[in-house]
Amino acid sequence: MNRSILVCCGTGCIANGSLAVADALRVALAGTDVAVEATGETEVKETGCNGFCENGPILRVMPDDISYYKVKPEDAADIAASIGAEPLERLLYRDDNDKPVLRQADNPFYAPQHKIVLRNIGQIDPQSIADYTDCGGYRALERALQMTPEAIISEVEASGLRGRGGAGYPTGSKWRAAMQYGEYPKYVICNGDEGDPGAFMDRSTLEGDPHCVLEGMAICALAIGAQEGFLYIRDEYELALKHVTKAIRDAEEAGILGDSIMGSGKKLRLAAVRGGGAFVCGESTALMASIEGRVGEPRAKYVRSAQRGLWDKPTVLNNVETFANIPVIIGGGGENFALLGTDSSKGTKVFALVGKVKRTGLVEVPMGVTLRRLIFDIGGGIVGDRPFKAVQTGGPSGGCIPEKLLDLPVDFDTLTDYGAMMGSGGMIVMDDRSCMVEVARYYTNFLAEESCGKCAPCREGLRQMLSILTGICEGRGLPGDLEALEEICALLIDSSLCALGKTAANPVLTTIEHFRDEYNAHILEKRCPGGVCRELTGSKKDGTGVTSSKAGKGDLRV
Amino acid sequence: MIVTIDGKEVSCERGEYLLDIATRAGIRIASLCHHEGLQGQGCCRLCTVEVETGRGDTGRGEGAQSGSFSDKKPRREIVAACIYPVEAECVVYTDSERVRRNRGILLALLRASAPASEEIAELCREFGAPDGARYEVQSGDGKCILCGLCAKACQTLGTGAISSVGRGTAKKISTPYDEPATVCVGCGSCAAVCPTGAIEVAEDGDERTIWNKTLTLTRCSRCGAVTGTAFEHYRASVHAGTEPPDLCPDCRRKAMTDTMAKTFGV
Ligand SMILES: Cc1cc2nc3c(=O)[nH]c(=O)nc-3n(C[C@H](O)[C@H](O)[C@H](O)COP(=O)(O)O)c2cc1C
Ligand code: SF4
Ligand code: FES
Ligand code: FES
Repeated sequence: MNRSILVCCGTGCIANGSLAVADALRVALAGTDVAVEATGETEVKETGCNGFCENGPILRVMPDDISYYKVKPEDAADIAASIGAEPLERLLYRDDNDKPVLRQADNPFYAPQHKIVLRNIGQIDPQSIADYTDCGGYRALERALQMTPEAIISEVEASGLRGRGGAGYPTGSKWRAAMQYGEYPKYVICNGDEGDPGAFMDRSTLEGDPHCVLEGMAICALAIGAQEGFLYIRDEYELALKHVTKAIRDAEEAGILGDSIMGSGKKLRLAAVRGGGAFVCGESTALMASIEGRVGEPRAKYVRSAQRGLWDKPTVLNNVETFANIPVIIGGGGENFALLGTDSSKGTKVFALVGKVKRTGLVEVPMGVTLRRLIFDIGGGIVGDRPFKAVQTGGPSGGCIPEKLLDLPVDFDTLTDYGAMMGSGGMIVMDDRSCMVEVARYYTNFLAEESCGKCAPCREGLRQMLSILTGICEGRGLPGDLEALEEICALLIDSSLCALGKTAANPVLTTIEHFRDEYNAHILEKRCPGGVCRELTGSKKDGTGVTSSKAGKGDLRV
Repeated sequence: MIVTIDGKEVSCERGEYLLDIATRAGIRIASLCHHEGLQGQGCCRLCTVEVETGRGDTGRGEGAQSGSFSDKKPRREIVAACIYPVEAECVVYTDSERVRRNRGILLALLRASAPASEEIAELCREFGAPDGARYEVQSGDGKCILCGLCAKACQTLGTGAISSVGRGTAKKISTPYDEPATVCVGCGSCAAVCPTGAIEVAEDGDERTIWNKTLTLTRCSRCGAVTGTAFEHYRASVHAGTEPPDLCPDCRRKAMTDTMAKTFGV
């Protein structure tokens, strides 16, 4: 039997030394010639991120389906020797009952997941177009070439797909709007700026399965009549940039993209663009300004990008994860796709589960699963079995959800109804030793620094909110502070120019709503119940929360 | 097309900006970052008004984030009048409860950040802004509200000596690296468009100092009025081949009248 050893070489595992593991394995396997007769050929394949980076480097022997975790180069000889023989028990994952787990599907982290977007990641070599086509890649594009734009868009509409970049705007409607304008050229843009601290689903997808994003974009281009497109990729994402650039070149060389898409005579030129390095550059109009070479600042959206977007031409801009769903929808049918999920949110969503849970990582689940299932089943519960306090969803302008709402189904509308957001799918779990005022202060600080600063409500509002929140954390809170915060929040929601300002109130409003007692303890009793605020506790505790590489200043002390 | 602003029916062209329509009808909508010649800033948000749309129209909105794609009911939204193009008949409220509340807080915020600006203080009085006692007042003699008009004026004139630098609460208007800008011609257009008088222009004898740069003034050979800076005329002569003016516009007109009077013997 021929085998492959899939070595995870996503950014996380590379940081843990997976490239050395892959090399050591190749050496070790070359030394076991004798065994080949009995066990067949074994190839070592470098894949994208398996989502469970904290246990990396991860490796998976196929088709036996044995997964090893925290593998070191020194383990290579033992692994090579174990091929076709007994699995190496010391490298297996141990479940909550300390039982070793062989197959990925039996691992409690993976078992409840349902992979659509991440379907190929971890199984294929992202740098090999043959790997992608071998598992059905580009077949949806082939199908789309036989369809009219109308039929493609109807299929996307039937799927109920909503944008995964945060706003949840129906993808089909967006495409239809752009299709209807008769002005050319038109553009298709993939938003891979991924500015939310802690989120890494877009990076993993671009790194681990770049062709599926290109395929999604190509289908969109056919539907709206675009011949040019851009992938705007966050500037720190070196590996993603490299893989995407190679994927574009390979697809063009294979005649799949470029001057004649699969010989159809239809043209599509794609290019990867390095992001501007600011959080706000992920906002659609700022992103387009940045591609045009202007300062990445948002503009008012009274005229939609579908009509006047990049260089004032009709443009569709979608998130990485949104595009990654498209080949599945066109390949398998929109109605099939819509079988999964809730009434208003179809398909799956990838979350970056981090913070004080036992298992952290990238997880893909059907829309509508409960927060409890995410945090307690997949995440395995709170580290040290401490009490759960809150989960922050939706990135910097998301909200904090308390214990009593843990049975909420996670979908676009439910989260928005509770003042939180789906956002890009960040999910930070906090235990009883976190301070909700500090959490609000942290995000407000992030947004005050990362706002473009162009419009007055956002810039001045956040400045004063930060000043009031800092005051509360440092023991200078006054009665009336919460009302002052709420007043500014109302202004931000109503009057800001872009969605950053319009949603910037969420962290503050949700923490006031669900954790008012905690605010009052700070303001009236000068006490920090979480024991985090240094000025109120006399000590500083170091958090192990999520660091934002962009905000730079100060980690979230959760 | 007809829009109804504060109960008054006003006719307009499709696509006209709401602020322009209101101004023409004599309805006051306060604004700071709006300037006729430099449209499209839309950043002070003082001109926000409430618009009721959607009686049969498409239900456009500024924030895709609002997720209200499906409601076709008439809806009220807050828009910035200076950049809001009227595409369908609508009803506008410039002084509703919600507008007043937002405008008050916004003005109080601006006062805290530009405490030395008389213009902002006056607007606060006019619209009865709350005292904003809880706000941290920016130190110094700040008057700038970062409306960006100065940078836009400078850029539009082709000079581009100043621009906004940084982002978020650290944003400011400045010359490159805060050094006197080599390309600044000292024309003072930035100061002329500034709604709060935040840009200092000092004139002393034959010199004008602006953005830390001192330039030599040129004067009208008849009345001695300032006609610009020497560098400004030099740049214009290089770029457009124009001659430096000898007379100020007033004297030029007078000179012309004189010549005419002589010619026609009046
Ligand atoms: C401040 C700000 C930052 C954003 N950052 C991102 C981002 O990093 N990635 C992304 O896909 N969308 C981001 N968005 C949302 C985009 O503006 C846009 O709605 C989205 O990319 C559209 O794609 P979708 O319809 O597929 O979700 C951001 C929005 C705002 C207001
Ligand atoms: S809301 Fe904030 S980020 Fe958006 S345009 Fe205004 S200042 Fe910039
Ligand atoms: S990089 Fe290997 S699991 Fe994420
Ligand atoms: S006048 Fe400044 S936003 Fe309209």
